[in-house]
Amino acid sequence: MVTKSEETQLNSLENQVDNGGGGAWEYLCLIRKLKVRRSDKVLKHGLSILNDPKQRSTLGNEEWTLYEQVAVAAMDCQCLDVAKDCIKVLRKRFPESKRVGRLEAMLLEAKGSWELAEKAYTSLLEDNPLDQIIHKRRVAMAKAQGNISVAIEWLNKYLETFMADHDAWRELAEIYVSLQMYKQAAFCYEELILSQPTVPLYHLAYADVLYTLGGLENLQTAKKYYASTIDLTGGKNTRALFGICLCTSALTQLTKGKNKEDKEGSQLQSLAAKVLEKDYKQRAPDKLPQLTTALNSLTLSS
Amino acid sequence: MGLGFLVGFLGFLILIHAAYSTIQYRGLLKITEEEFSGPPLNVVIEVTLGLVLCMWAALTVPGKFLSIHPDSEENRIVSLPANLDFMIFNHRYKVFSVELDVKLKH
Repeated sequence: MVTKSEETQLNSLENQVDNGGGGAWEYLCLIRKLKVRRSDKVLKHGLSILNDPKQRSTLGNEEWTLYEQVAVAAMDCQCLDVAKDCIKVLRKRFPESKRVGRLEAMLLEAKGSWELAEKAYTSLLEDNPLDQIIHKRRVAMAKAQGNISVAIEWLNKYLETFMADHDAWRELAEIYVSLQMYKQAAFCYEELILSQPTVPLYHLAYADVLYTLGGLENLQTAKKYYASTIDLTGGKNTRALFGICLCTSALTQLTKGKNKEDKEGSQLQSLAAKVLEKDYKQRAPDKLPQLTTALNSLTLSS
Repeated sequence: MGLGFLVGFLGFLILIHAAYSTIQYRGLLKITEEEFSGPPLNVVIEVTLGLVLCMWAALTVPGKFLSIHPDSEENRIVSLPANLDFMIFNHRYKVFSVELDVKLKH
């Protein structure tokens, strides 16, 4: 999870490193810790450390972690020669390692030789059938080849064994959303909210899915989850604020002419709109007229 | 840090001294054969002072307080980590290779 203060720290460090202010190693450590995907930067700065024997020797044992990080980044940037060289160095140092074996299989994947990669993963799984990362790699490989249904099948099988793996639940949810299977995606997000109830982004994604599904009950639940996102972020999530406005106007449209007036809903909408206006005034004053017309059209249509 | 420890130590000494003077006071009462109704005023002041000093030291010495609010800057989650275990290499770098010419040299 990347928090606000960590994000600012990462950005300032990235600025510093890009402008040649040093601190490349700290930057790479932070990238590893936050698990963000900045492969081009990792490749550039990681290699500059690895190519400098003096800097490399100060790292001690961390050197091998850096080799691994750079190898994966190089695969991501399709610099396969660099990845190959890094893996060769690692293989020399750790001749029996399974972790290096995994990297080699990933290199095959990056080259696009799926059958060889599959074979390598299968042989690795024979040695250790409960290696979570290799199971996940096989799912990713199926996805990369376009066999989404196979990926879903494997991911479901994987989740039967490792139910607590929330990254896998998230991946499954995202795959379902990409296939517009919103009911299944909603189930995955429910699972995620259960396992990590304090992460506002899961509440937000769940609300998005429910809003997309539509229908009176789903819209009401979506509004509640948008509200809980606002609660958890202190009203600093713009998407959740827009979600509240959209949900309320959709709800009033659905219940128009029927029973009682929903007073609480309209109050919530006007509050959210007020916060949005304030936020836009502060951060993007030139887009304020657009916002007000959008909000007006929402209230007019209801 | 040093100041905090010093203040805490001073507060502790004051508390010990307050205890000692209370015991002495009770001994004095036994001699004069009076009833014990409450500690004398100077002991009460001493205990309060020691309490304040010890509390201040205990709050400052161990370090800073961390925020427990979910919406504070330190705790507010703005983005999820990239799902690196599931990363796939079919993206724009496959077509547009990186301009920087890099090589691992040894």
